[in-house]
Amino acid sequence: MAFTITCPVCGPRDGYEFRFGGEDKGPRPEAADLTPAAWCDYVHMADSRPGVQKEWWVHRQGCGAWFTIHRDTVANQEVSLNLLEAAE
Amino acid sequence: MNRLKHLPTLRITPGAARSFTYGKHTFEGLQGDTVATALFANGVRVFGRSLKYHRPRGLYSLDGECSNTLMEVDGVPNVRTETTPLTAGIRVAAQNVMGRPELDLLGVLDAFSWAMPAGFYYRMFHRPARVWPLAIQQIRKAAGLGRLSPDFRMPGRFDEIYPAADVCVLGGGPAGLSAALAAAERGLRVILLEARPWLGGAFEYRAADDGDGVALHRKARDLAAAVAARPEIRVFTQAPAIGVYSDGQVTAFQRGGPDQSFDERYIEIRAAAVVVATGCGERPLLFEHNERPGVMQPACAQRLARTWGLLAGTEAVFSVGHDLGLEAAVDLFDLGLKVAAVADIREDGQDPTLVKALAQRNIPLLKGWVARKAHGGNRVTGATLTSVNGRFHRRLTCDLLAAAAGLTPATGPLTLAQSQLAFDPHTGYFLPRTLPKGLQAAGRLLGLESWAAVTASGRRAGLQAAADAGADCQAAIRESEAALRDLPGAVRGSKFVIAPGCGRKAFICFDEDTTVKNVDQAMAMGFDVPELIKRFTSAGTGPGQGGIPGHNLPLYVAQTGLSPDAHPRPTTARPPLVPTLLATYAGAQHDMSKRTPLHDLQVACGGRMERVGVWTRARRFTDDPRCRTEILNVRTNVGLLDASTLGKFLIFGPDALKALQRVYVSDMARMTPGRAKYSAMCNDDGCITDDGVVVQTAENDYYFTTSTARAGVTVEWFRYHTRYDGWCYHLVNLTDAYGVLNLAGPKAREVLSRVTTADVSNAAFPYMGYREMAIHGVPVRALRLGFVGELSYELHVPSSYMPALWDLLMEAGRLEGIRPFGLEAQNALRMEKGHLIIGSESEQRTTLHDVGLGFLWQREKADQRLVGAAALMQTERQPGRLKLVGFKMADPSGPPPRDGSPIVDARIRGYVCTARYSFTLKEPVGLALVEDGLAQEGARLAIYEDGCQGQLTHAVVTPYPFYDPEGRRLRQ
Amino acid sequence: MLGRFKRLWDAKPMKTHYDAVIIGGGLHGLATAYFLARNHGLTDVAVIEKRYIGFGAAGRNTAIVRANQRTQENLPLYKEALDLWPVLTRELDFNLMFYNCGNLNLAHSEAALKAMRLQVASAQFQGIDSRLLDAKECRELVPALDISDRPRYPIFGGMFHPPGGIVRHDAVVWGLARGAAKRGVHIHQGTSATGIGVEGGKAAWVDTDRGRIRTPRVLNAAGAYSAGLANRFLGQRLPISVLTIQAMVTQPLKPLLHHVVSSGAYHCYANQTLKGEIATGAHMDPWPNYTTQTTAHYIKHQAEAVTEFLPCLKGLKFMRTWGGLADMTPDMAPIMDGHSPAEGYYLDCGWGYFGFKSSTVTGKYMAQYMATGECPEILKPFALKRFEEHRLMGETAALVDYTANN
Repeated sequence: MAFTITCPVCGPRDGYEFRFGGEDKGPRPEAADLTPAAWCDYVHMADSRPGVQKEWWVHRQGCGAWFTIHRDTVANQEVSLNLLEAAE
Repeated sequence: MNRLKHLPTLRITPGAARSFTYGKHTFEGLQGDTVATALFANGVRVFGRSLKYHRPRGLYSLDGECSNTLMEVDGVPNVRTETTPLTAGIRVAAQNVMGRPELDLLGVLDAFSWAMPAGFYYRMFHRPARVWPLAIQQIRKAAGLGRLSPDFRMPGRFDEIYPAADVCVLGGGPAGLSAALAAAERGLRVILLEARPWLGGAFEYRAADDGDGVALHRKARDLAAAVAARPEIRVFTQAPAIGVYSDGQVTAFQRGGPDQSFDERYIEIRAAAVVVATGCGERPLLFEHNERPGVMQPACAQRLARTWGLLAGTEAVFSVGHDLGLEAAVDLFDLGLKVAAVADIREDGQDPTLVKALAQRNIPLLKGWVARKAHGGNRVTGATLTSVNGRFHRRLTCDLLAAAAGLTPATGPLTLAQSQLAFDPHTGYFLPRTLPKGLQAAGRLLGLESWAAVTASGRRAGLQAAADAGADCQAAIRESEAALRDLPGAVRGSKFVIAPGCGRKAFICFDEDTTVKNVDQAMAMGFDVPELIKRFTSAGTGPGQGGIPGHNLPLYVAQTGLSPDAHPRPTTARPPLVPTLLATYAGAQHDMSKRTPLHDLQVACGGRMERVGVWTRARRFTDDPRCRTEILNVRTNVGLLDASTLGKFLIFGPDALKALQRVYVSDMARMTPGRAKYSAMCNDDGCITDDGVVVQTAENDYYFTTSTARAGVTVEWFRYHTRYDGWCYHLVNLTDAYGVLNLAGPKAREVLSRVTTADVSNAAFPYMGYREMAIHGVPVRALRLGFVGELSYELHVPSSYMPALWDLLMEAGRLEGIRPFGLEAQNALRMEKGHLIIGSESEQRTTLHDVGLGFLWQREKADQRLVGAAALMQTERQPGRLKLVGFKMADPSGPPPRDGSPIVDARIRGYVCTARYSFTLKEPVGLALVEDGLAQEGARLAIYEDGCQGQLTHAVVTPYPFYDPEGRRLRQ
Repeated sequence: MLGRFKRLWDAKPMKTHYDAVIIGGGLHGLATAYFLARNHGLTDVAVIEKRYIGFGAAGRNTAIVRANQRTQENLPLYKEALDLWPVLTRELDFNLMFYNCGNLNLAHSEAALKAMRLQVASAQFQGIDSRLLDAKECRELVPALDISDRPRYPIFGGMFHPPGGIVRHDAVVWGLARGAAKRGVHIHQGTSATGIGVEGGKAAWVDTDRGRIRTPRVLNAAGAYSAGLANRFLGQRLPISVLTIQAMVTQPLKPLLHHVVSSGAYHCYANQTLKGEIATGAHMDPWPNYTTQTTAHYIKHQAEAVTEFLPCLKGLKFMRTWGGLADMTPDMAPIMDGHSPAEGYYLDCGWGYFGFKSSTVTGKYMAQYMATGECPEILKPFALKRFEEHRLMGETAALVDYTANN
């Protein structure tokens, strides 16, 4: 398996140039009235479902940009959003 | 042995002798020989012994699909002699032999094969239990092929290259060559990989013609020449593909030699499209003793003669299921081999030309017949043939039994590329049912056999690959498809047949000595799918992997009807497709680490350099591991430390402050110009990940440092935690652009004032101050900090000036006794001062509160959703956590406990982080993480050191800093 | 003994009710089933497995066993697991081929030595044999080691753990399956779980592609798929990242390595199987994945790494590489829990790459948990709650690099 990620700045590059940044969970919640369970859910918990998920990556050995892609975790392949929408 | 001469297909150079040794013998081969053909030419027939039963094994194929001809060459075990070119002077030895290959003392094991049924080791040797440890040693000795000395060092030059191409073609036969040409004609860059030393594939040795009078070998060579003439095509011969991955990634290795810059090199290709045209091998035929020396594949016998001029025997019996087998019989007869009979599994459907040719030569052709048994021991002496229905038998004398069940496609690359294969009853092949995007298949592995169809299929695949790579060639693709439709399609394959009554010594996997009977046994025990049978019987897990059993095992399993797999499913192929030396994979193995600008100067001063993370740094400058002189010199005079590895960053822009507020626990809005602010970063667990200082250099403009370990991830960290915010700030990593010298010690000011005109008095440049100054015109960012607990200046200068500044300070400080100090001295100094190093005084689960830095957290600061805030709130008063404490020993005259020693009572309560004998305080001091119940001043800590046998040492929790707790020395 | 080729376990028809249903025919599931039957007389148990038993991590791990973990919560569990191999071999009458060769873990820096000292002393404190060696002693143990200063990370010393070794992983699968089946457990291969039913806060049934099974006890022991199943069936979110982990073997060789050798700095281990192959691996691509495909990057990296400290291996050839899945938690310790979100629902997951060595003992205690409904003391520290209570286990000292939270 090779792995290619399309960086919004640099274009398609070898997957090892990037670092994974987690499932997309939305903006950070306010800390003040966060219950431990809600905090834990945001920080540690994940859906971990096989299939397509939206997730963050950073082009570590490149431009340094953080961005999201959709990736099929079963095939380990980036999925184009257009294809996804077309399939829905 | 006399060689056939004057054949147009020969690849040897008569007269170019190459001598080599085999055991005690000195043999001569010819240039162009492989090690195996040279041995064969010298009369060697038994090449080695099999793994389990020590059966004699000989030349079977010539492409190294099984371990039969693995030998030790120049100390390297398991060399595939069939594919290794002969070079002069090599030393060859047989493997897995006690005695000689022809007379192996362990050969007796073969008679006891009944005692070693499938999976016997799971059911033996464990009763009684005491037998097992003894049995293990015997099993280990018996297992394995080849030996390697622990002192062995692989000689040779290994390299690696990473070429890119539009189209990568696997296989240099006519299909691959045609594909490469078709893509090249579209102007694309093509890489072609061929495992053999020459191009032409299964056609380059064939004297037959397609009815047009031009011999196939001639056509193959012409096509190869056409490819060689194309500048767009880069051909790698002796370069088998070993891996095919998604996104057009292909790996291979290439054999080099004295004429090249490498002996073997790793090749990793990225291509837009890949064409697999790896052709076919011959499918092994299952019959009793089907792996005796003298049993070989028809193509093996034919290539021995045609390529190396060697007749494999004097009188042969053929048992085949394919026209190429018949062609080999005719061809070898014409080259002087007597052929007693040819059995063909097929009742009908043979090429009439070949049937006629056999008849003209008076060679009996037995249609619907198959080999049942090979006779003989070290060499075949005869063969029993049987009609497929088992009713008739014939025993014939021969010294060569050329046997194959037909052909089997080399689908390994397709499987690796995630192509779905399905069994095709017409060809009897596993054919690609789906091909992933960017992958094409062509040629014989699709069942095609004629020159015209194979080349047309190659052309079509080449054009399609060109289209995958972006070329506009739809019209040409349609034309090529039409052309292909007009040509003969896939050829009918032979049925899967095992002669009745066979199994006990019919080997389905040569490498693991797995017989048909073993497979039956496994199925009877409930292992009913090929992958499980592989695991239970080991079939296909030996050096040749699926090479021999890959096709027959699924067919056999499906045929027995015991398996849920009524439709044969191919077994899994895994990389590497060809076993590959670790030396080759390792390649050039360049050692890379970062050096500071002062590396050479520190080495010149006696610096003992060590890897620390990505850097190489000076651990110490004397032989003394405790660094007494270095430490005391900092305490009494002045020392110089290369701190260039510190992370150094600029952050500026309208939202720079917001970003700082997000990641630093302190209120970064409260900064005083000209003053450094010490703060820390936490992760979302509230656990400390970094500390450092921040200075505001202008409005919206900051300079900050991070620990060495975090320098590489800091930009990523800031950007990650602000990724949803769309803030505008620039963050520049200056870690490598700037070096840092830490000038530390009571006499630091004298030294510094000698090299700068700037006012460095305590009043003008106080503790925690930040100044930009010039030293001999060099711009310096100077920080007055005190990590080691003394008056000290951290001087940040552009990297290129670092050596000059080092020299200046060393010269300027001569009177004060300046000397360099290293990481170990720094470690002891800062520990005495109670300063922590993250990762040393903290672990993954250690919060800011735990290490006593909770005061840095300014929770009232304008909420910027500080990273870690929630966890810092929730853990602030949490009981039962490990807290950082200082300690001194109950008996100060004893040695300090070693770092990492647990602190115990009835259970483990914590551990020593860092402890040293303090030359300054004249007693051991240390820092430890302990459960909060033990964290009070005066608490007694029992330390359990490794090897103490229960003899505990004791320490007492003591407030830290141990050294200069009031911090006077920093401020002097 | 010879001549008998009986089925190791029979395919039984699937019933519509069982006293317990275990999702996942891997080692944890089979061991739990075995101990439910053996220790608690709970024999009306079904193990449902989507593929065939041992398809997942049970058949893909490199079979190393040891009991030299870092924390006191983990140590007793692994120690008991280590002691169980000979016991189970006898009890199952199936040779699990425990090769008690000992494990040598190399240190390549002062910091690594410090970390090892804590591990070694913690083990000794609990009565587990573990010793710190200097570089020379390491080489006496493993003559193939290069202890010169040539390697990128020279060897400073090592941690030797004599009681460890390797076990034939497939044998454990088959032995436990046979043992469980003999006691009445039904093993349903080729059966996918498609849902878990909850009635009145209690687990009530498991839906499969072969129909519904009513049961008061469900164990989610689906290995790498546990987290995804928990999420899909019960909406439960877990702190788990599933990563692909790869391993490979060389061609077989006469005995060369007599111990398991591993190195944190090079992030790899190497040991010689009873068949003579050198098995080596450990790399994980640090992003979640459910693929077991291998990468070109890793096999090359592995050759570079392992030949740095075992340079003679350069003369060997890699023969086969494969991938498996590891369900990693933030603190490298597993999650064993029950009764949440539904009573009678049990969870055993997050084992990362420690799932093999712990499998049998986990089965024993999870069986106790399921049979009695009470969490055994030894499992309590592994509850899911620890993550929201800010009590990570500390199995890993350093920050783990596969989540974005570090």
